[in-house]
Amino acid sequence: MFKAMLLKEFILLLRDKYALAALFIMPSIFILIMSIALKDTFGSDRALLSYAVIDQDNTAESAKLRTFLLSNGRLKEHKAPITNAAQRQEVLNGTLHFIVSIPPGFAQDLVTEHSAALLQLDVASDVKQEMLTLVQAELSMDIIRLRMEKIQKELAPFLPEVAQKLEAMTSKRDNLIQVRFNAMGINKKPTSTQQSVPSWIVFGMFFVIIPMSTVFISERKQNTLMRMSAMNISVPVLFAGKLAPYIIINQIQVWLMIGVGIFLVPLFGGDALTLGDSISGLFMVSLGLSLAAIGTSILIAVTADTVEQATTIGGIINILMGAIGGVMVPKFYMSQSMQQLTNISPMSWGLEGFLDIFLRGQGAGAVITESLTLAGFGAGLLLAAGMILNAKMKRGI
Amino acid sequence: MISIKNLVKHYNNHIALDHINLNVGKGVILGLLGPNGAGKTTLVSILNGLIDFQEGAIEIFGLPLSQELKAIRKRSSFIPQSLALYDNLTVLENLRFFAGIQKIRGKALRHNVDYAVSVGQLQPLLDHKAGILSGGQKRRLNIAIGLLNNPELLYFDEPTAGIDPESRTSILETIRSFKNDGKTVIYTSHYMPEIEKICDQVAILDRGRIIRHGLLEAMLHEEKTDSVIIELRHSHEAQLQTLAREYTMVKVIDAATVMMDGPDATQLGAILAALEAEQIDIKQIRYGTTNLEALFIQLTTQGNCDV
Repeated sequence: MFKAMLLKEFILLLRDKYALAALFIMPSIFILIMSIALKDTFGSDRALLSYAVIDQDNTAESAKLRTFLLSNGRLKEHKAPITNAAQRQEVLNGTLHFIVSIPPGFAQDLVTEHSAALLQLDVASDVKQEMLTLVQAELSMDIIRLRMEKIQKELAPFLPEVAQKLEAMTSKRDNLIQVRFNAMGINKKPTSTQQSVPSWIVFGMFFVIIPMSTVFISERKQNTLMRMSAMNISVPVLFAGKLAPYIIINQIQVWLMIGVGIFLVPLFGGDALTLGDSISGLFMVSLGLSLAAIGTSILIAVTADTVEQATTIGGIINILMGAIGGVMVPKFYMSQSMQQLTNISPMSWGLEGFLDIFLRGQGAGAVITESLTLAGFGAGLLLAAGMILNAKMKRGI
Repeated sequence: MISIKNLVKHYNNHIALDHINLNVGKGVILGLLGPNGAGKTTLVSILNGLIDFQEGAIEIFGLPLSQELKAIRKRSSFIPQSLALYDNLTVLENLRFFAGIQKIRGKALRHNVDYAVSVGQLQPLLDHKAGILSGGQKRRLNIAIGLLNNPELLYFDEPTAGIDPESRTSILETIRSFKNDGKTVIYTSHYMPEIEKICDQVAILDRGRIIRHGLLEAMLHEEKTDSVIIELRHSHEAQLQTLAREYTMVKVIDAATVMMDGPDATQLGAILAALEAEQIDIKQIRYGTTNLEALFIQLTTQGNCDV
């Protein structure tokens, strides 16, 4: 009996090119696009901010400041001269993030007790606060370095050893801090692919709502379900006959998306996905997600009256769950209150489970809670759907 | 074969079936008639175990329905009015799926599928997707699916709805042939001529009660009256309704049939003249007998009938 149901669902799905696109092609494309688009945000050393310098001091110190800024790989200098206020406005509205103005007397003021600011920083309106803090820190550090150099030069004739030590210390700028990303190892950075693949796997898995509810509502409307009921197929058996094929379909999705992350994304210049160490954990989370997705699909299919209603409601629910659950905007970008809100979305539970494995290198033990919560959620929805369907069938709807 | 005793079904305060008693023997083709809301669908749904009931007892094949539903379902089949099949599966895939979920395997699977294909005349269509079949072909597939378990008892709900006359004739002949195989058929339809053509017995339901049950032939004979039935060549419903308003003894049976209770020659002449004035072609005039439509109108208390 299950073989017949399994075969039927697979044939119907394979003949529905739109469903195939929604289940397999759409999430693959999302993974590809998002992994490449967010590549720089997550791990690369590419310059993130562009700036220009207006040097009105023209001293060795001001030139050094420019050199220090240039040595920061995150910053890229705009070389074209900026000579007036209109140009300044124009570049800040366009390509530049910052303009660093070095006023006349900068070198002199470096080592005097000067209460006024040493530099002026013009900032484009779309620069994020954390980026501004980064630039301020960089400039502050560069000024302190220039001051140290000056002090070291002044000390050299009197305390040559101290001056030498000071020089050695101030010139050594890199590798002062060793960065170790959680569970990724020293100098191993989490990549956009590690973030994108779990997100879009979760999103794609919930897209079973569309083909599943389409078939289910057709079965209901054409009285195929009633006919099956008259052939001794009970509601639990009917649901089991839907669960089995769609769990397999979900597993195919998971491994296809992982394949996209490992093999396809690098071909387009993105970072390859590295699989965590826990295949069993991966399987547990994906099974829980399957149950949650199928439970949602069947509940929608049972309550909606038409295929159009189901696909619209299903699409909206999917997008809302994705937006709230941190699929579209990563959770760590959200405000504290929004991060709390993500906990209501089953997509967030699944995503956290996948991130535990892909990003944090954890094992099956770490994802038991997420997996059981998802499975419980799915089972609850299936129970509700079963009760509603039974009641509807008894009323002949 | 089927024994129904004092069956009562109500939905909240509405009584759908009111103490129904009905016996149907093996090999009988029973036509189940009734206006909308009379309880036909409810009765067939109960007999298939699709909805429950509050009072009464039902036995099918000598087995109590409440306790032996699964066993009864294995020996019976319900062919719904809607095309309960999968448009995206081929004819053969549909047949194999519905056989599969009934756990029909091996030799029985091949044999029963061959039987269903043969009865439904589906051999040339096996590889065609159901969605591209004509209305008549889909109806035949719908029936063939119902034959996969080689049932002894078949329930047909409007099996010829919306199909061409040729397909209708073919389906009716198929259903009639089940009698030769000893199968019992419960047939609900709005088309009275179909019931007259294939049924041995008729049960007329009205407001949840069986108001008449018996052999069709005897029923029509007993109801022999002095009524006159005029059948038109084409439908002229509006004109017939006007006629019924002018002459109180005229009852509109359907868009092309009217019946008059014992009209005298003058009244009949006036009615025929009125039809002629409207240039309406008369197919035939029958006197001193009735047909199922007329009987149905007479017996059911509602003015707006399913004919």
